[in-house]
Amino acid sequence: MKFSGFSKRVSDAIAGYVLLLPFLIVLVVVVLYPLIQGFYMSFHNWGIFGDPVWVGLENYRQLWTDNNFRSSLWHTVYFVLLTTPPLVILGLLLAAGLNYPFRGRTLVRGMIFFPYLLTVSIVGIVWRWMLQRNYGLVNYYLGKMGIAPLGWLAEARTAMPSIALATIWWTIGFNLVVFLAALQDIPEELYEAARIDGAGPVKSFLRITVPLVRPTTIFVVIMQVIASFQVFGQVFVMTGGGPYGSTRTVVQYLYEQGFRYFRMGYASAIAYVLFFIMFVLTIVQWRVMGRREL
Amino acid sequence: MSAVRRKMSTGRVFGALVMYIVGILWVLPVLWMVSTSLKPESMIMEAVPRWIPAVFTLSNYQEVLERAALFKWLLNSVIVAATATFGVLAIDSMAGYAFARISFPGRDVLFMIVVATLMVPAQVTMIPLFFMLNEATLLNTHLALVLPRLGVAIGVFMLRQFFLSLPHDLEEAAAIDGASRYRVFVQIALPLAKPALSALAIVTFVWAWNDFMWPLIAISTQDMYTLPIGLSTLAGYYGREYGIQMAGAVIASLPVFVVFLMFQRQFIQGIALTGLKG
Repeated sequence: MKFSGFSKRVSDAIAGYVLLLPFLIVLVVVVLYPLIQGFYMSFHNWGIFGDPVWVGLENYRQLWTDNNFRSSLWHTVYFVLLTTPPLVILGLLLAAGLNYPFRGRTLVRGMIFFPYLLTVSIVGIVWRWMLQRNYGLVNYYLGKMGIAPLGWLAEARTAMPSIALATIWWTIGFNLVVFLAALQDIPEELYEAARIDGAGPVKSFLRITVPLVRPTTIFVVIMQVIASFQVFGQVFVMTGGGPYGSTRTVVQYLYEQGFRYFRMGYASAIAYVLFFIMFVLTIVQWRVMGRREL
Repeated sequence: MSAVRRKMSTGRVFGALVMYIVGILWVLPVLWMVSTSLKPESMIMEAVPRWIPAVFTLSNYQEVLERAALFKWLLNSVIVAATATFGVLAIDSMAGYAFARISFPGRDVLFMIVVATLMVPAQVTMIPLFFMLNEATLLNTHLALVLPRLGVAIGVFMLRQFFLSLPHDLEEAAAIDGASRYRVFVQIALPLAKPALSALAIVTFVWAWNDFMWPLIAISTQDMYTLPIGLSTLAGYYGREYGIQMAGAVIASLPVFVVFLMFQRQFIQGIALTGLKG
Protein backbone atom coordinates (compact mmCIF):
# COMPACT_ATOMS: atom_id res chain seq x y z
CA MET A 1 0.00 0.00 0.00
CA LYS A 2 2.63 2.44 1.06
CA PHE A 3 4.77 1.62 -1.97
CA SER A 4 2.43 3.78 -4.05
CA GLY A 5 2.82 6.48 -6.65
CA PHE A 6 3.59 5.59 -10.26
CA SER A 7 7.37 5.92 -10.27
CA LYS A 8 7.47 4.16 -6.93
CA ARG A 9 5.41 1.31 -8.36
CA VAL A 10 7.67 1.00 -11.40
CA SER A 11 10.85 0.93 -9.37
CA ASP A 12 9.19 -1.58 -7.06
CA ALA A 13 8.26 -3.84 -9.96
CA ILE A 14 11.84 -3.62 -11.20
CA ALA A 15 13.06 -4.62 -7.75
CA GLY A 16 10.74 -7.61 -7.98
CA TYR A 17 12.30 -8.79 -11.23
CA VAL A 18 15.83 -8.13 -9.99
CA LEU A 19 15.28 -10.20 -6.86
CA LEU A 20 13.66 -12.97 -8.86
CA LEU A 21 16.27 -13.08 -11.59
CA PRO A 22 18.99 -15.26 -10.05
CA PHE A 23 16.57 -18.04 -9.20
CA LEU A 24 14.78 -17.81 -12.53
CA ILE A 25 18.05 -18.06 -14.46
CA VAL A 26 19.04 -21.18 -12.53
CA LEU A 27 15.55 -22.64 -12.99
CA VAL A 28 15.71 -22.15 -16.74
CA VAL A 29 19.22 -23.59 -17.02
CA VAL A 30 18.86 -26.65 -14.78
CA VAL A 31 15.14 -27.48 -15.02
CA LEU A 32 13.13 -25.86 -17.80
CA TYR A 33 15.63 -26.10 -20.62
CA PRO A 34 16.65 -29.69 -19.75
CA LEU A 35 12.96 -30.58 -19.56
CA ILE A 36 12.48 -29.58 -23.19
CA GLN A 37 15.86 -30.92 -24.28
CA GLY A 38 15.11 -34.30 -22.70
CA PHE A 39 11.81 -34.53 -24.56
CA TYR A 40 13.62 -33.71 -27.79
CA MET A 41 16.28 -36.32 -27.05
CA SER A 42 13.64 -38.98 -26.53
CA PHE A 43 12.87 -38.85 -30.28
CA HIS A 44 16.47 -39.61 -31.23
CA ASN A 45 19.06 -42.28 -31.21
CA TRP A 46 21.34 -40.30 -28.97
CA GLY A 47 24.72 -41.70 -28.00
CA ILE A 48 27.75 -40.07 -26.47
CA PHE A 49 29.71 -40.16 -29.74
CA GLY A 50 28.45 -39.31 -33.19
CA ASP A 51 25.47 -37.25 -34.24
CA PRO A 52 22.02 -37.94 -32.91
CA VAL A 53 19.64 -39.56 -35.38
CA TRP A 54 15.95 -38.65 -35.46
CA VAL A 55 13.83 -41.77 -34.99
CA GLY A 56 10.43 -40.30 -34.21
CA LEU A 57 8.41 -42.41 -31.80
CA GLU A 58 10.65 -45.45 -32.21
CA ASN A 59 12.04 -45.25 -28.65
CA TYR A 60 8.54 -45.19 -27.18
CA ARG A 61 7.38 -47.98 -29.46
CA GLN A 62 10.38 -50.05 -28.41
CA LEU A 63 9.67 -49.38 -24.73
CA TRP A 64 6.16 -50.71 -25.21
CA THR A 65 7.54 -54.11 -26.19
CA ASP A 66 10.69 -54.08 -24.03
CA ASN A 67 10.29 -56.89 -21.52
CA ASN A 68 12.99 -55.49 -19.27
CA PHE A 69 11.17 -52.19 -19.10
CA ARG A 70 7.86 -53.88 -18.40
CA SER A 71 9.35 -55.96 -15.62
CA SER A 72 11.09 -52.90 -14.16
CA LEU A 73 7.74 -51.13 -14.09
CA TRP A 74 6.19 -54.05 -12.27
CA HIS A 75 9.08 -54.20 -9.78
CA THR A 76 8.62 -50.51 -9.09
CA VAL A 77 4.89 -50.90 -8.49
CA TYR A 78 5.66 -53.86 -6.23
CA PHE A 79 8.11 -51.72 -4.26
CA VAL A 80 5.56 -48.90 -3.97
CA LEU A 81 2.95 -51.36 -2.69
CA LEU A 82 5.40 -52.91 -0.22
CA THR A 83 6.56 -49.60 1.24
CA THR A 84 3.67 -47.14 1.11
CA PRO A 85 1.11 -48.78 3.45
CA PRO A 86 3.59 -49.52 6.26
CA LEU A 87 5.32 -46.16 5.92
CA VAL A 88 2.03 -44.29 6.15
CA ILE A 89 0.19 -46.44 8.72
CA LEU A 90 3.19 -47.13 10.93
CA GLY A 91 4.22 -43.50 10.60
CA LEU A 92 0.87 -42.32 11.90
CA LEU A 93 0.73 -44.93 14.68
CA LEU A 94 4.21 -44.03 15.88
CA ALA A 95 3.36 -40.33 15.73
CA ALA A 96 0.24 -40.94 17.81
CA GLY A 97 2.23 -42.97 20.33
CA LEU A 98 4.96 -40.35 20.51
CA ASN A 99 2.49 -37.50 20.89
CA TYR A 100 1.53 -38.67 24.39
CA PRO A 101 3.88 -37.28 27.00
CA PHE A 102 6.10 -39.86 28.67
CA ARG A 103 9.59 -39.91 30.09
CA GLY A 104 12.25 -40.15 27.38
CA ARG A 105 9.85 -39.28 24.58
CA THR A 106 12.27 -36.90 22.86
CA LEU A 107 14.98 -39.53 22.93
CA VAL A 108 12.72 -42.18 21.38
CA ARG A 109 11.65 -39.73 18.66
CA GLY A 110 15.30 -39.06 17.92
CA MET A 111 16.11 -42.79 17.83
CA ILE A 112 13.41 -43.47 15.24
CA PHE A 113 14.18 -40.37 13.22
CA PHE A 114 17.95 -40.72 13.13
CA PRO A 115 18.25 -43.30 10.29
CA TYR A 116 16.57 -40.82 7.93
CA LEU A 117 19.72 -38.71 8.15
CA LEU A 118 21.98 -41.54 7.04
CA THR A 119 23.01 -41.54 3.45
CA VAL A 120 21.61 -44.34 1.33
CA SER A 121 24.94 -46.11 0.91
CA ILE A 122 25.26 -46.48 4.68
CA VAL A 123 21.73 -47.87 4.82
CA GLY A 124 22.60 -50.23 1.98
CA ILE A 125 25.84 -51.63 3.37
CA VAL A 126 24.51 -51.93 6.92
CA TRP A 127 21.47 -53.92 5.76
CA ARG A 128 23.54 -56.08 3.43
CA TRP A 129 25.50 -57.09 6.51
CA MET A 130 22.36 -57.49 8.66
CA LEU A 131 20.78 -59.71 5.98
CA GLN A 132 23.92 -61.69 5.14
CA ARG A 133 23.13 -65.37 4.71
CA ASN A 134 25.51 -67.16 7.07
CA TYR A 135 26.50 -64.61 9.68
CA GLY A 136 23.85 -61.93 9.38
CA LEU A 137 21.98 -60.84 12.47
CA VAL A 138 18.54 -61.36 10.91
CA ASN A 139 19.13 -65.00 10.05
CA TYR A 140 20.66 -65.63 13.46
CA TYR A 141 17.59 -64.46 15.36
CA LEU A 142 15.20 -66.10 12.90
CA GLY A 143 17.23 -69.27 13.37
CA LYS A 144 16.56 -69.10 17.10
CA MET A 145 12.88 -69.17 16.21
CA GLY A 146 13.48 -72.23 14.06
CA ILE A 147 13.46 -70.53 10.68
CA ALA A 148 16.07 -71.79 8.23
CA PRO A 149 18.60 -69.22 6.99
CA LEU A 150 17.77 -67.35 3.79
CA GLY A 151 19.94 -65.49 1.33
CA TRP A 152 17.66 -62.50 1.58
CA LEU A 153 19.24 -60.41 -1.12
CA ALA A 154 20.38 -63.33 -3.24
CA GLU A 155 16.96 -64.81 -3.90
CA ALA A 156 14.49 -63.27 -6.30
CA ARG A 157 11.57 -63.99 -3.96
CA THR A 158 12.97 -62.09 -0.96
CA ALA A 159 15.26 -59.44 -2.48
CA MET A 160 12.63 -56.76 -3.05
CA PRO A 161 10.89 -57.20 0.33
CA SER A 162 14.32 -56.92 1.95
CA ILE A 163 15.01 -53.64 0.16
CA ALA A 164 11.55 -52.48 1.23
CA LEU A 165 12.34 -53.38 4.85
CA ALA A 166 15.56 -51.35 4.78
CA THR A 167 13.65 -48.47 3.20
CA ILE A 168 10.96 -48.50 5.88
CA TRP A 169 13.64 -48.46 8.56
CA TRP A 170 15.43 -45.65 6.78
CA THR A 171 12.61 -43.23 6.00
CA ILE A 172 9.83 -43.76 8.54
CA GLY A 173 11.24 -40.92 10.65
CA PHE A 174 10.31 -38.46 7.95
CA ASN A 175 6.62 -39.40 7.95
CA LEU A 176 6.72 -39.53 11.72
CA VAL A 177 7.79 -35.89 11.86
CA VAL A 178 5.18 -34.76 9.34
CA PHE A 179 2.42 -36.57 11.26
CA LEU A 180 3.66 -35.27 14.61
CA ALA A 181 3.41 -31.72 13.31
CA ALA A 182 -0.20 -32.40 12.26
CA LEU A 183 -1.09 -34.05 15.58
CA GLN A 184 0.13 -31.06 17.52
CA ASP A 185 -2.56 -28.97 15.86
CA ILE A 186 -5.35 -31.13 17.27
CA PRO A 187 -6.74 -29.43 20.39
CA GLU A 188 -6.16 -31.45 23.56
CA GLU A 189 -9.76 -30.71 24.67
CA LEU A 190 -11.12 -33.09 22.05
CA TYR A 191 -9.26 -36.01 23.62
CA GLU A 192 -10.23 -34.77 27.07
CA ALA A 193 -13.90 -34.77 26.09
CA ALA A 194 -13.64 -38.23 24.56
CA ARG A 195 -11.96 -39.48 27.73
CA ILE A 196 -14.79 -38.17 29.87
CA ASP A 197 -17.25 -39.93 27.56
CA GLY A 198 -15.35 -43.11 28.34
CA ALA A 199 -13.56 -43.56 25.02
CA GLY A 200 -10.31 -45.54 25.23
CA PRO A 201 -7.10 -44.67 23.37
CA VAL A 202 -7.99 -46.91 20.41
CA LYS A 203 -11.38 -45.33 20.00
CA SER A 204 -10.07 -41.76 20.25
CA PHE A 205 -7.34 -42.61 17.77
CA LEU A 206 -9.89 -43.88 15.26
CA ARG A 207 -12.57 -41.26 15.93
CA ILE A 208 -10.47 -38.13 16.51
CA THR A 209 -6.90 -38.55 15.27
CA VAL A 210 -7.50 -40.36 11.98
CA PRO A 211 -10.22 -38.03 10.65
CA LEU A 212 -8.46 -34.86 11.76
CA VAL A 213 -5.09 -35.66 10.20
CA ARG A 214 -6.79 -36.70 6.96
CA PRO A 215 -5.37 -33.85 4.83
CA THR A 216 -1.88 -34.66 6.10
CA THR A 217 -2.43 -38.35 5.40
CA ILE A 218 -3.42 -37.57 1.81
CA PHE A 219 -0.32 -35.43 1.45
CA VAL A 220 1.94 -38.09 2.96
CA VAL A 221 0.51 -40.86 0.77
CA ILE A 222 1.05 -38.84 -2.40
CA MET A 223 4.58 -37.84 -1.41
CA GLN A 224 5.35 -41.43 -0.41
CA VAL A 225 4.14 -42.87 -3.70
CA ILE A 226 6.23 -40.29 -5.56
CA ALA A 227 9.33 -41.03 -3.49
CA SER A 228 8.90 -44.81 -3.69
CA PHE A 229 8.31 -44.67 -7.42
CA GLN A 230 11.73 -43.09 -7.83
CA VAL A 231 13.57 -45.71 -5.75
CA PHE A 232 17.15 -46.08 -6.88
CA GLY A 233 19.96 -45.79 -4.31
CA GLN A 234 18.86 -48.68 -2.08
CA VAL A 235 18.54 -50.98 -5.08
CA PHE A 236 21.84 -49.84 -6.55
CA VAL A 237 23.77 -50.45 -3.33
CA MET A 238 22.00 -53.54 -2.00
CA THR A 239 21.45 -55.65 -5.12
CA GLY A 240 22.46 -53.66 -8.19
CA GLY A 241 19.11 -54.71 -9.65
CA GLY A 242 19.71 -58.44 -9.19
CA PRO A 243 19.35 -61.28 -8.65
CA TYR A 244 18.46 -61.91 -12.30
CA GLY A 245 17.03 -58.41 -12.64
CA SER A 246 14.36 -59.15 -10.04
CA THR A 247 14.88 -55.83 -8.24
CA ARG A 248 15.54 -53.72 -11.30
CA THR A 249 13.26 -50.69 -10.95
CA VAL A 250 12.39 -48.07 -13.56
CA VAL A 251 15.04 -45.62 -12.39
CA GLN A 252 17.62 -48.39 -12.14
CA TYR A 253 16.78 -49.36 -15.73
CA LEU A 254 16.99 -45.72 -16.80
CA TYR A 255 20.42 -45.52 -15.18
CA GLU A 256 21.62 -48.67 -16.93
CA GLN A 257 20.35 -47.58 -20.34
CA GLY A 258 21.48 -43.96 -20.08
CA PHE A 259 24.74 -44.15 -18.20
CA ARG A 260 26.03 -47.67 -18.64
CA TYR A 261 25.13 -48.18 -22.31
CA PHE A 262 24.83 -44.45 -23.09
CA ARG A 263 21.54 -44.90 -24.92
CA MET A 264 20.53 -41.37 -23.96
CA GLY A 265 17.55 -41.14 -26.29
CA TYR A 266 16.09 -44.38 -25.01
CA ALA A 267 16.79 -43.38 -21.39
CA SER A 268 15.06 -40.05 -22.01
CA ALA A 269 12.00 -41.87 -23.27
CA ILE A 270 12.02 -43.93 -20.04
CA ALA A 271 12.28 -40.71 -18.04
CA TYR A 272 9.28 -39.23 -19.81
CA VAL A 273 7.17 -42.32 -19.35
CA LEU A 274 8.12 -42.23 -15.66
CA PHE A 275 7.17 -38.56 -15.49
CA PHE A 276 3.84 -39.26 -17.19
CA ILE A 277 2.98 -42.17 -14.91
CA MET A 278 3.85 -40.19 -11.77
CA PHE A 279 1.84 -37.24 -12.98
CA VAL A 280 -1.24 -39.37 -13.64
CA LEU A 281 -0.83 -41.23 -10.34
CA THR A 282 -0.66 -37.96 -8.43
CA ILE A 283 -3.77 -36.59 -10.10
CA VAL A 284 -5.70 -39.83 -9.56
CA GLN A 285 -4.72 -40.06 -5.92
CA TRP A 286 -5.65 -36.46 -5.40
CA ARG A 287 -9.06 -37.06 -6.94
CA VAL A 288 -9.81 -40.35 -5.22
CA MET A 289 -8.71 -39.32 -1.76
CA GLY A 290 -9.87 -35.75 -1.96
CA ARG A 291 -13.38 -36.78 -2.99
CA ARG A 292 -14.21 -38.83 0.07
CA GLU A 293 -13.71 -35.80 2.21
CA LEU A 294 -16.99 -34.69 3.73
CA MET B 1 -14.06 -42.51 37.53
CA SER B 2 -11.00 -43.83 39.31
CA ALA B 3 -11.32 -47.09 37.43
CA VAL B 4 -11.26 -45.16 34.17
CA ARG B 5 -8.22 -43.18 35.23
CA ARG B 6 -6.39 -46.33 36.29
CA LYS B 7 -7.17 -47.92 32.94
CA MET B 8 -5.89 -44.82 31.16
CA SER B 9 -2.66 -44.79 33.07
CA THR B 10 -1.92 -48.48 32.53
CA GLY B 11 -2.72 -47.82 28.88
CA ARG B 12 -0.16 -45.04 28.89
CA VAL B 13 2.48 -47.15 30.55
CA PHE B 14 1.86 -49.86 28.00
CA GLY B 15 2.03 -47.31 25.16
CA ALA B 16 5.31 -45.90 26.47
CA LEU B 17 6.68 -49.43 26.74
CA VAL B 18 5.79 -50.17 23.12
CA MET B 19 7.50 -46.93 22.07
CA TYR B 20 10.67 -47.83 23.99
CA ILE B 21 10.75 -51.21 22.26
CA VAL B 22 10.28 -49.67 18.81
CA GLY B 23 12.95 -47.08 19.55
CA ILE B 24 15.43 -49.76 20.60
CA LEU B 25 14.58 -51.90 17.57
CA TRP B 26 15.21 -48.88 15.38
CA VAL B 27 18.71 -48.19 16.68
CA LEU B 28 19.82 -51.83 16.66
CA PRO B 29 21.19 -51.70 13.08
CA VAL B 30 23.19 -48.59 14.01
CA LEU B 31 24.54 -50.27 17.16
CA TRP B 32 25.41 -53.36 15.15
CA MET B 33 27.26 -51.19 12.65
CA VAL B 34 29.33 -49.63 15.45
CA SER B 35 29.89 -52.97 17.16
CA THR B 36 31.07 -54.66 13.95
CA SER B 37 33.40 -51.78 13.13
CA LEU B 38 35.23 -52.29 16.43
CA LYS B 39 35.88 -56.02 16.01
CA PRO B 40 39.01 -57.59 14.55
CA GLU B 41 38.31 -59.03 11.10
CA SER B 42 38.61 -62.63 12.38
CA MET B 43 35.87 -62.17 14.98
CA ILE B 44 33.25 -60.50 12.81
CA MET B 45 31.70 -63.63 11.38
CA GLU B 46 30.81 -65.73 14.36
CA ALA B 47 28.21 -68.45 14.76
CA VAL B 48 26.85 -66.62 17.79
CA PRO B 49 26.99 -62.87 17.12
CA ARG B 50 28.37 -60.76 19.97
CA TRP B 51 26.94 -57.29 20.54
CA ILE B 52 29.90 -56.32 22.66
CA PRO B 53 33.16 -57.21 20.93
CA ALA B 54 35.32 -59.72 22.81
CA VAL B 55 38.33 -57.74 21.60
CA PHE B 56 38.15 -54.05 20.76
CA THR B 57 40.25 -52.74 17.92
CA LEU B 58 40.50 -49.66 15.73
CA SER B 59 42.23 -51.57 12.94
CA ASN B 60 39.19 -51.34 10.65
CA TYR B 61 39.26 -47.58 10.94
CA GLN B 62 42.97 -47.53 10.23
CA GLU B 63 42.48 -49.80 7.22
CA VAL B 64 39.62 -47.86 5.69
CA LEU B 65 41.44 -44.57 6.09
CA GLU B 66 44.56 -46.03 4.49
CA ARG B 67 42.85 -47.79 1.63
CA ALA B 68 40.10 -45.35 0.76
CA ALA B 69 40.28 -41.58 0.28
CA LEU B 70 37.64 -41.12 2.99
CA PHE B 71 38.76 -37.67 4.09
CA LYS B 72 38.93 -36.46 0.52
CA TRP B 73 35.33 -37.70 0.00
CA LEU B 74 34.30 -36.05 3.24
CA LEU B 75 35.84 -32.79 2.10
CA ASN B 76 34.06 -33.00 -1.28
CA SER B 77 30.75 -33.63 0.47
CA VAL B 78 31.26 -30.68 2.80
CA ILE B 79 32.20 -28.34 -0.07
CA VAL B 80 29.23 -29.39 -2.20
CA ALA B 81 26.63 -29.39 0.58
CA ALA B 82 27.82 -26.08 2.04
CA THR B 83 27.95 -24.30 -1.33
CA ALA B 84 24.53 -25.64 -2.29
CA THR B 85 23.10 -24.49 1.03
CA PHE B 86 24.46 -20.94 0.76
CA GLY B 87 23.40 -20.70 -2.86
CA VAL B 88 19.89 -21.93 -2.14
CA LEU B 89 19.47 -19.55 0.80
CA ALA B 90 20.63 -16.57 -1.25
CA ILE B 91 18.58 -17.04 -4.40
CA ASP B 92 15.52 -18.59 -2.73
CA SER B 93 15.16 -15.84 -0.15
CA MET B 94 15.29 -13.16 -2.85
CA ALA B 95 12.77 -14.98 -5.03
CA GLY B 96 10.53 -15.91 -2.09
CA TYR B 97 10.45 -12.31 -0.94
CA ALA B 98 9.69 -10.96 -4.41
CA PHE B 99 6.80 -13.43 -4.83
CA ALA B 100 5.37 -12.67 -1.41
CA ARG B 101 5.74 -8.93 -1.11
CA ILE B 102 6.22 -7.15 -4.40
CA SER B 103 3.59 -6.79 -7.09
CA PHE B 104 4.84 -6.84 -10.66
CA PRO B 105 3.31 -7.92 -13.96
CA GLY B 106 3.43 -11.67 -14.57
CA ARG B 107 4.07 -12.55 -10.95
CA ASP B 108 1.31 -15.10 -10.56
CA VAL B 109 2.09 -16.88 -13.81
CA LEU B 110 5.78 -17.07 -12.92
CA PHE B 111 4.92 -18.41 -9.49
CA MET B 112 2.71 -21.11 -11.00
CA ILE B 113 5.53 -22.17 -13.30
CA VAL B 114 7.94 -22.32 -10.36
CA VAL B 115 5.54 -24.46 -8.31
CA ALA B 116 4.81 -26.70 -11.30
CA THR B 117 8.53 -27.57 -11.58
CA LEU B 118 8.20 -29.28 -8.20
CA MET B 119 6.29 -32.04 -10.01
CA VAL B 120 9.20 -32.83 -12.32
CA PRO B 121 11.11 -35.90 -11.12
CA ALA B 122 14.86 -35.27 -10.95
CA GLN B 123 15.56 -38.19 -13.29
CA VAL B 124 13.84 -36.39 -16.15
CA THR B 125 16.37 -33.58 -16.19
CA MET B 126 19.44 -35.68 -15.37
CA ILE B 127 20.10 -36.97 -18.86
CA PRO B 128 20.03 -33.59 -20.64
CA LEU B 129 21.93 -32.02 -17.73
CA PHE B 130 24.61 -34.66 -18.09
CA PHE B 131 24.82 -33.81 -21.75
CA MET B 132 24.91 -30.04 -21.22
CA LEU B 133 27.60 -30.23 -18.55
CA ASN B 134 29.58 -32.62 -20.70
CA GLU B 135 29.54 -30.09 -23.55
CA ALA B 136 30.58 -27.35 -21.12
CA THR B 137 33.33 -29.65 -19.76
CA LEU B 138 31.87 -29.14 -16.31
CA LEU B 139 31.27 -32.79 -15.50
CA ASN B 140 33.29 -34.20 -12.60
CA THR B 141 33.42 -30.82 -10.81
CA HIS B 142 31.89 -29.58 -7.58
CA LEU B 143 29.89 -27.06 -9.56
CA ALA B 144 28.20 -29.88 -11.49
CA LEU B 145 26.96 -31.26 -8.18
CA VAL B 146 25.82 -27.92 -6.78
CA LEU B 147 23.95 -26.55 -9.82
CA PRO B 148 20.94 -28.91 -9.96
CA ARG B 149 20.35 -28.41 -6.22
CA LEU B 150 19.96 -24.65 -6.80
CA GLY B 151 17.06 -25.23 -9.16
CA VAL B 152 14.87 -26.99 -6.58
CA ALA B 153 11.91 -24.69 -6.04
CA ILE B 154 10.75 -25.93 -2.64
CA GLY B 155 12.77 -23.29 -0.78
CA VAL B 156 11.21 -20.48 -2.81
CA PHE B 157 7.79 -21.86 -2.04
CA MET B 158 8.51 -22.26 1.65
CA LEU B 159 10.08 -18.80 2.09
CA ARG B 160 7.25 -17.18 0.15
CA GLN B 161 4.79 -18.71 2.62
CA PHE B 162 6.89 -17.40 5.46
CA PHE B 163 7.17 -13.84 4.12
CA LEU B 164 3.42 -13.82 3.48
CA SER B 165 2.86 -14.52 7.17
CA LEU B 166 4.98 -11.60 8.37
CA PRO B 167 3.16 -8.41 9.41
CA HIS B 168 3.54 -5.50 6.98
CA ASP B 169 4.05 -2.71 9.55
CA LEU B 170 7.82 -2.70 9.77
CA GLU B 171 8.35 -2.74 6.04
CA GLU B 172 5.82 0.02 5.53
CA ALA B 173 7.42 2.19 8.18
CA ALA B 174 10.80 1.75 6.50
CA ALA B 175 9.31 2.55 3.11
CA ILE B 176 7.85 5.74 4.43
CA ASP B 177 11.30 6.62 5.73
CA GLY B 178 12.46 6.35 2.13
CA ALA B 179 14.23 2.98 2.27
CA SER B 180 14.43 1.17 -1.07
CA ARG B 181 12.98 -2.32 -1.60
CA TYR B 182 16.44 -3.81 -1.49
CA ARG B 183 17.20 -2.22 1.86
CA VAL B 184 13.84 -3.28 3.24
CA PHE B 185 14.56 -6.84 2.10
CA VAL B 186 18.09 -7.03 3.48
CA GLN B 187 17.68 -5.06 6.68
CA ILE B 188 14.14 -5.85 7.75
CA ALA B 189 12.68 -8.90 6.05
CA LEU B 190 15.76 -11.15 6.09
CA PRO B 191 16.51 -10.81 9.82
CA LEU B 192 12.87 -11.61 10.58
CA ALA B 193 13.09 -14.73 8.42
CA LYS B 194 15.88 -16.28 10.45
CA PRO B 195 13.86 -19.25 11.76
CA ALA B 196 12.62 -20.14 8.27
CA LEU B 197 16.07 -19.64 6.78
CA SER B 198 17.76 -21.88 9.31
CA ALA B 199 15.15 -24.59 8.81
CA LEU B 200 15.66 -24.41 5.04
CA ALA B 201 19.44 -24.37 5.51
CA ILE B 202 19.58 -27.53 7.56
CA VAL B 203 17.19 -29.43 5.31
CA THR B 204 19.04 -28.37 2.17
CA PHE B 205 22.36 -29.32 3.71
CA VAL B 206 21.26 -32.84 4.61
CA TRP B 207 19.59 -33.43 1.24
CA ALA B 208 22.64 -32.23 -0.65
CA TRP B 209 24.84 -34.31 1.64
CA ASN B 210 22.80 -37.42 0.87
CA ASP B 211 22.41 -36.93 -2.88
CA PHE B 212 23.17 -40.20 -4.58
CA MET B 213 22.07 -40.67 -8.16
CA TRP B 214 23.28 -37.39 -9.61
CA PRO B 215 26.83 -37.55 -8.15
CA LEU B 216 26.99 -41.17 -9.28
CA ILE B 217 26.36 -39.93 -12.83
CA ALA B 218 28.25 -36.63 -12.83
CA ILE B 219 31.42 -37.76 -11.04
CA SER B 220 33.87 -40.10 -12.73
CA THR B 221 37.12 -40.03 -10.75
CA GLN B 222 37.77 -41.33 -7.23
CA ASP B 223 39.26 -38.07 -5.96
CA MET B 224 36.00 -36.26 -6.76
CA TYR B 225 33.65 -38.79 -5.11
CA THR B 226 31.32 -37.53 -2.44
CA LEU B 227 30.95 -39.63 0.69
CA PRO B 228 27.81 -41.53 -0.43
CA ILE B 229 29.40 -42.53 -3.73
CA GLY B 230 32.75 -43.42 -2.19
CA LEU B 231 31.06 -45.53 0.48
CA SER B 232 29.00 -47.43 -2.05
CA THR B 233 32.20 -48.46 -3.81
CA LEU B 234 33.57 -49.88 -0.55
CA ALA B 235 30.89 -52.57 -0.67
CA GLY B 236 32.11 -53.54 -4.12
CA TYR B 237 35.82 -53.59 -3.28
CA TYR B 238 35.63 -55.14 0.17
CA GLY B 239 32.56 -57.31 -0.39
CA ARG B 240 33.01 -59.58 2.61
CA GLU B 241 35.20 -57.34 4.74
CA TYR B 242 32.31 -56.01 6.76
CA GLY B 243 34.52 -54.50 9.45
CA ILE B 244 36.06 -52.08 6.97
CA GLN B 245 32.69 -51.21 5.46
CA MET B 246 31.16 -50.56 8.87
CA ALA B 247 34.12 -48.42 9.94
CA GLY B 248 33.64 -46.33 6.81
CA ALA B 249 29.92 -46.09 7.54
CA VAL B 250 30.55 -44.97 11.13
CA ILE B 251 32.97 -42.26 10.03
CA ALA B 252 30.48 -41.08 7.42
CA SER B 253 27.59 -40.94 9.89
CA LEU B 254 29.48 -39.00 12.54
CA PRO B 255 29.15 -35.54 10.94
CA VAL B 256 25.43 -36.05 10.38
CA PHE B 257 25.02 -37.25 13.95
CA VAL B 258 26.72 -34.11 15.28
CA VAL B 259 24.68 -31.84 13.00
CA PHE B 260 21.54 -33.64 14.12
CA LEU B 261 22.31 -33.16 17.81
CA MET B 262 23.00 -29.48 17.24
CA PHE B 263 20.11 -28.62 14.94
CA GLN B 264 17.45 -31.23 15.71
CA ARG B 265 14.77 -28.59 16.23
CA GLN B 266 15.47 -26.68 13.00
CA PHE B 267 15.60 -29.89 11.05
CA ILE B 268 12.25 -31.09 12.31
CA GLN B 269 10.80 -27.67 11.59
CA GLY B 270 12.26 -27.77 8.11
CA ILE B 271 10.57 -31.06 7.35
CA ALA B 272 7.28 -29.93 8.82
CA LEU B 273 7.45 -26.79 6.67
CA THR B 274 8.50 -28.31 3.37
CA GLY B 275 7.05 -31.79 3.76
CA LEU B 276 9.11 -32.93 0.82
CA LYS B 277 11.13 -36.11 0.64
CA GLY B 278 14.71 -35.68 -0.53
